Amino acid sequence: MKIRSDILRIYQSVHTWTGITTGLVLFIAFFAGALTMFQTPITQWAIPATQTLPQVSLEEKDTLIQLAAKEHEKVKNGFTINLDEHLSPMSWYEQGGGRGLRLQDEVRHASLDENGNLITLKTEQNVLGDLIDWLHRTAGIPGKAGHEDLGVVILGVASALYFVALVSGVIFLLPTLVKHFFALRQKKGANRFWLDTHNLLGITSLPFHLIIAWTVVVFAFHDVMYDGLSVVYGDEPMFGRMPSSSQTHTIDTLPPISSYLDKVAETTDGYTVSSLTFSKLEGPGASVRINIVGDGKMQRAAESDIISMDPYTTDILYSTLSTDENGTYGALVTSFFSLHFGNFANDAGRWIYFVLGLMGAVLFYTGNLLWLEKRRKKQGAQARNTRVMANLTVGVCLGSVLGVAVCLLSSKWLYLFNHSINQKYLTIYYGVFFLSIAYSFWKGAALSAIRLQYALAISCIGVPVTSLIVALFANTETWTITTPAAMGVEMGAVVFALLFYYGARKTAKRAYHGDANSIWALRTNTETPLAGSNITPSNVR
Amino acid sequence: MARLSAQQKIQPDWWSKTIASTVLGLTLAFALVGLFAWYGPGGIHAATKNQFNMWIISPIWLLIISFSFLFRTGARAFLILGTANLICWGLFVLLRYVL
Repeated sequence: MKIRSDILRIYQSVHTWTGITTGLVLFIAFFAGALTMFQTPITQWAIPATQTLPQVSLEEKDTLIQLAAKEHEKVKNGFTINLDEHLSPMSWYEQGGGRGLRLQDEVRHASLDENGNLITLKTEQNVLGDLIDWLHRTAGIPGKAGHEDLGVVILGVASALYFVALVSGVIFLLPTLVKHFFALRQKKGANRFWLDTHNLLGITSLPFHLIIAWTVVVFAFHDVMYDGLSVVYGDEPMFGRMPSSSQTHTIDTLPPISSYLDKVAETTDGYTVSSLTFSKLEGPGASVRINIVGDGKMQRAAESDIISMDPYTTDILYSTLSTDENGTYGALVTSFFSLHFGNFANDAGRWIYFVLGLMGAVLFYTGNLLWLEKRRKKQGAQARNTRVMANLTVGVCLGSVLGVAVCLLSSKWLYLFNHSINQKYLTIYYGVFFLSIAYSFWKGAALSAIRLQYALAISCIGVPVTSLIVALFANTETWTITTPAAMGVEMGAVVFALLFYYGARKTAKRAYHGDANSIWALRTNTETPLAGSNITPSNVR
Repeated sequence: MARLSAQQKIQPDWWSKTIASTVLGLTLAFALVGLFAWYGPGGIHAATKNQFNMWIISPIWLLIISFSFLFRTGARAFLILGTANLICWGLFVLLRYVL
């Protein structure tokens, strides 16, 4: 396909600028986003078995609710009933509660012992999964902008630019697309190889990237968009009022849990209830939010659909299902959410999105590498901005991954030696992240790329090693390591350890035997370079 | 291909094109979505259409921004997007409040 050269040049500039300004934050959002596919297993892996109470039967749950309500006043504010066999049957917030990364939340679990007596256990909520989700949504940028997280707003802007980067990238790739699509030219120099990798990743996962860019802009700016939309709606109200019950009841008249399950079974097809969250049970506006997981269905929330009922009458107040009431537009909107969350094909879908997320991270990383290669000088010292960008690329990208890896590595040790772990997760993540960046600037991109990858390999292999040590030497059986969730995390850690080890070896090879005038080159001091040819602050130390 | 004269070539005009498409592109997106909301399938009262309307604003806007660099100059970007705004908003006001 022929495109005028002036158009190509302009779109190449658009692509370069939108890409280089957003690549780093998007890298963090994508790699963490890939991990959020397994957020629940990761959290379950982290929580000691001693912090979960045994499940009880469906009928016993009704007894449990009444017993707990008598002894604990907080139950009337709200509680959750879990049907998952690996979770406590009942839990509520003693302190805190709500969405997002909340470090101080205290949860009380409740169950029944063999004699049918109430047993409870107060724990600190584990936020390992929430931390990953928070990194995914904010790239780790703290602070608030209005009532929204600042990081969410920044990622919203970054995603708008990333949308433009996708369109411009495709435009200036079009002339050579057909000819070079599947070419992965390894022999024509590092630059070619990175370019081919970048293009191949970008084009093959383009629909995914367009969807992600679009949905993230919507997630960040939906309030602004609705405000604008109210202008075209004029006097027409945009939102109907949510029905809610104004009558008040007492908790002892609450119908059995089975009645909600029956109602869900009656009104839906192919869904199973995972949990029920009751709120304001003795006040006006009492409701129960029921999370239902669809088998291979497009779902509105990250991991489920939601049905909200009046808890005393089981009348449906609100539903995210694609029902006749929600119409074709409702189904379309659900599909937009679902295509972001990747929840439409069970575990297979999660794995595909996991891989696509990692491919996205590699796309941004290779994009930055291309920017650097393009600007590198054939002779002499590299320009300052090139060195800064190289250091940032290595420090930020590998640093954020290493931060998460060290959190996983230290999680079990923190539980064994410390009781307050959530704050520690955050300290560890930011500590490792900023140390990695500092290290990159101190030693230069070439050396830190190698050392940080070795650090990553060691941290990752340390995860299963820790589990093994704890399982063999701890006095009590503290963590269940045989559940699919736990096994998955350990196996994943091994695979990543091997990948990073391989990456470190390859990077080292390039540094010592590759192109001497590369920003990635390292030479020992004994091998005196030609005067001024390849001395850079990054490789003389 | 015959060589283009400097006049025919696209001028970068980064700032003016970006501002034109960011501002006028957004207002144009709202006008188009407004027409769709009232006069598209299902009319204004169709179930959950409010959410769908909100969702389609941003892709329209971002596509306008993406392709705005094809305008030959920044001034033309302002002119054409401004005219498109006048037409779409004019049509909206006409249908909604006059007729």
